[in-house]
Amino acid sequence: MDAETRRDRFEAVAPGLIEPLRRFLARRTDAATADDVLGDTLLVCWRRLDELPDEPLPWAYGVARHCLANADRGARRQQRVAARVATVDPPAATAPGPGEADGGPDTGLDEALARLRPDDAELLRLWAWEQLTPAEIATVLDITANAASIRLHRAREKLRAELRKTSGVAGHEGSREGRTS
Amino acid sequence: MSDEHDDELRARLRAVDPAASLAPADPSRVARLLEDTMSNDLMTETRETGTHGRSPLTWLVAAAAAVIIAAVGAFGVLRHDAGSDQPPSAARDQTPTVTELTGPSGGVDAKCMVPSAAVLGQATLAFDGTVQKITDGVVTLVPSHVYAGPATDVVTITAAPEAMQQLVGAVKFEDNGRYLISSTNGQVSVCGFSGPYTADLAALYDEAFAS
Repeated sequence: MDAETRRDRFEAVAPGLIEPLRRFLARRTDAATADDVLGDTLLVCWRRLDELPDEPLPWAYGVARHCLANADRGARRQQRVAARVATVDPPAATAPGPGEADGGPDTGLDEALARLRPDDAELLRLWAWEQLTPAEIATVLDITANAASIRLHRAREKLRAELRKTSGVAGHEGSREGRTS
Repeated sequence: MSDEHDDELRARLRAVDPAASLAPADPSRVARLLEDTMSNDLMTETRETGTHGRSPLTWLVAAAAAVIIAAVGAFGVLRHDAGSDQPPSAARDQTPTVTELTGPSGGVDAKCMVPSAAVLGQATLAFDGTVQKITDGVVTLVPSHVYAGPATDVVTITAAPEAMQQLVGAVKFEDNGRYLISSTNGQVSVCGFSGPYTADLAALYDEAFAS
């Protein structure tokens, strides 16, 4: 692929990736990290343009996941420093975590999601938030479509089980099935 | 479980989507981001294209840097030979190693790419240091930690007066200030790749030079 063709292909594909990738990252990290990782992700997409599949988004989510993991590793090394800075000069705003979004927190769901294994919670996020099919989830996580389908099914079951445990306390729609008396 | 139950669960999860309230990206920012991304082509950079367009000054600085490195190396070898006459530490104290850098060529208002660890990792010298003094045209820093490049006691950054204005504008050097500085081929990298010490920038440096 010559330089001109590369540019044309990237310019055709990348604008469609940016918005979903921004959201993907906003759901998983703070705003500053999301910005950095978006840049890193696009850079990888640009460099590996030849590998970009016809349906590039799930593949790009997979790249973003790796870039985010790299950023997190870097961040962990700096956690002690950051904690010290935060106490002296607290950040003005933080990205809302799951359950803190507009429209009132669903703490039951938030807590249930937090109690799941990280892999299961991530499957559910990809399914519900990124609205991916099991085959697309498989591309993101680099597993087979069959495995993605089975794990997703199990993850949903686990989440329902967790929701039933807490529904008596905080659930709204879940309280219907959780009431025992 | 039925599809209906799945839909209900998905709807409940979607109601707590943290990105639901995220405004769409500013189109001009998106355009800039794409342009910045495409200005990176390190994987396919050939020697010819990679060095294309560098000013003669760059080559002069690179040559000067090579001479300094050779001189430091030779000094080390010679000093090693004379080591029996005096303690090495004493000799070292008398003659600190100095690494010389220059300010960025071209205006610092030139197009900047988003700072990333991948790009920062290409720097030939990167360090965490404190400004010892600023005299006309020369900023002297004492590194406390060298991420990449040869260990050195002192780093000086020189720039022509008008370029110094830009450099100071870009990095804002202050006496006793702590900075993270990276350079490629003897030139200080600006555009967010060098600057006052912050936890974020330090994290970027850690990531870029993690072995």
